[in-house]
Amino acid sequence: MEVLFSQFINILMLGSTYSLVAIGFSLFFGVMDVVVFCVGDVAIFAAYAVTGLIGFTTLNQVLVGGDSLSLSAITIMIASLLTGLLMLVLYKVTIQPLARKGSHMPLLSTIAAGLTLREGIAIFYPQGRNPQVFPSLFPDTYFFNNSMLSYRNVIIFGTTILIIVALYLFVSRTKLGISVQAVAQNRDAATMIGINAKAVILVTLLIGGFVLGIGGSLLGSYYGMIRSEMGVMYGLMGFSAAVVGGIGNINGAIVGGLLLATVEVLMSAFVSGGTAFASIASFAVVILLLLTRPEGIMGQKTVENV
Amino acid sequence: MGKNLVSSMRSQLLTIAIILTIYGGLLTAFRGTPATAISVIVMFVVIIIIAEKTKRLQDVYDIIGSHSKAAIVTALICAALLPLLLGNNYDIHVAVVAGIYALVALGLNFQLGSAGMVNVAPAAFMGIGAYTSAFFSVKLGISPWVGTIVAVFFSALFGLAVGYPTLKTRGYYLALVTIAVQVIFGLLIINTPWLGGPNGISGIPPYSLLGVSFGKELVIGNFRLPSQAFYLYLVLIALTLTIMISQRLWASRIGLAWNAIEEDQVVAATQGVNVAHMKLLAFTLGGAVAGVAGAMYGHYLNFVGVDDFGLAKSLVILCMVALGGMDNVVGVVFGAVVLTLVDEKLRELADYGMFFYGIILVAVLLIRPQGILPRRMRRYKLLQAGGISPLLGQRNKTY
Repeated sequence: MEVLFSQFINILMLGSTYSLVAIGFSLFFGVMDVVVFCVGDVAIFAAYAVTGLIGFTTLNQVLVGGDSLSLSAITIMIASLLTGLLMLVLYKVTIQPLARKGSHMPLLSTIAAGLTLREGIAIFYPQGRNPQVFPSLFPDTYFFNNSMLSYRNVIIFGTTILIIVALYLFVSRTKLGISVQAVAQNRDAATMIGINAKAVILVTLLIGGFVLGIGGSLLGSYYGMIRSEMGVMYGLMGFSAAVVGGIGNINGAIVGGLLLATVEVLMSAFVSGGTAFASIASFAVVILLLLTRPEGIMGQKTVENV
Repeated sequence: MGKNLVSSMRSQLLTIAIILTIYGGLLTAFRGTPATAISVIVMFVVIIIIAEKTKRLQDVYDIIGSHSKAAIVTALICAALLPLLLGNNYDIHVAVVAGIYALVALGLNFQLGSAGMVNVAPAAFMGIGAYTSAFFSVKLGISPWVGTIVAVFFSALFGLAVGYPTLKTRGYYLALVTIAVQVIFGLLIINTPWLGGPNGISGIPPYSLLGVSFGKELVIGNFRLPSQAFYLYLVLIALTLTIMISQRLWASRIGLAWNAIEEDQVVAATQGVNVAHMKLLAFTLGGAVAGVAGAMYGHYLNFVGVDDFGLAKSLVILCMVALGGMDNVVGVVFGAVVLTLVDEKLRELADYGMFFYGIILVAVLLIRPQGILPRRMRRYKLLQAGGISPLLGQRNKTY
């Protein structure tokens, strides 16, 4: 029973991180109609930013207790803001010039940008080629004695929920959020009723980058260490989660992330020699779902009128 | 008769001139520093852009096309001389690898370039061919030639299996399915012990013909032919065949059907194109070609490993097609050769190599998104005396 509960916690953790990337990805795709292949690398950039920033503070010797929690929160927020700015730069350099030149080009350019980002981190971050220890931002205590509910797990899950709720409120209640929905549905129509589509896209990039930043930081916290190549798998999982759940749909991103996390955790926990096959199983599930329900679990069937 | 001979010679001379320029340029780029290499490539791109702007590029196609048979014979003679001209064993080795990747890129071109289907798994197709032939040769002791044929069969079958789901999926869904296939393939070959696991399959026997093994140097009196030269000839023969097939398909109704599917699938269907058959053909054919390339790769290097057939390699092959020029056979081959050279060259920069690779890719995509040699227009002309042959893409049409 305890084993099941601990695996359940793992699923929630991993699922949260996948969902965050999937949300970022869905946001970008919804608003720009571009598959941004480098979201994983952008998220890992945030993790590296956090690791780097923590080094600058004087409190990096011992991080336990309440005061350091706010410090961790501030560090993560700064890193995520930087990530948002990074998304803006990526957009200006690799996506905007190619946006109308055929559907394959932005995909390829984001792939190349992801490669450059990954290699850039490995080269320019001190000792970048080696795995880096991710600072333990959250106290290592547990909520109830001996249970699996460590402070860290609760914070990871809680932050994800917070972000999701905040996003949901933003998108449905604020004027800017509704503009985002409008641009995602039909950019030209939105322009016609006076929405500044370009500004909306920039805002979406910032928000999406911020979410990716938080996702990357939480992922680093979950694994305890980061490598520059992590972004590839992370991005692929996020991409798969978004498509499996239904692209352009925040609920879908969450469902997709949880589903893929479930497959991965259960395979590695309960099947012997499972860790290797965990990823294979996840992608096999992705293929299966795409064949049987291509619009995603929570997506709507797109009807083409000819 | 005189006029015909003159224009025939013109076409041959132009072919030789182009081949010499490309050969000279690539050799300088390869033998020099990375900076030289990049400047040569930039020069090529600039020349082509200028040729395009002044409409000279179409003239080049016309001149060569008017006597395409002569031009092709000339090109083949130059190709046959290539292994003898490349002094160095290392140069020949790079040429072999470039040729093999050109084959895979041509296979991908059917799906991506002609039909517009984003297939992120060409390395997996190549890997199926490589591992099949390796498995049959090493573990079952079958002759390499038979192993290659079996490899073609299996990779074509794999292509069919991957192509079948594409009938239902479009655009990025298709990309995701192929990504999933590629990742699964990469993980499977690492984790399957009877396929060698992380160590791959080594000791793959080289081809041998009439008792002469391709793996050894050929010595006739004073004449030495390095072992790589055998493979270069083999690869050149396969490449020539594939280029001819690609060109014929491009000029035929099948090529038109693929382009129609890319433009608008529904309209193509209403015009009588059997969309399902055409898509499956693209995948199966592409798979078969990639399988041949993979099998040759295995028998050439005597080893197949996990790094050569992963997602990273797939993305490189994707870039070869995209940067070389989609649906342009010469462009795709050129893109494959250039990217292989760049890859080898950047290896000298050790740590910084892949970083610059990414920057170069982004730069080329920004400056020239349609690829180095863009898509060709098909020209339909009234039948004239000395009409133009379909082999270089021009068709006779009588009304």
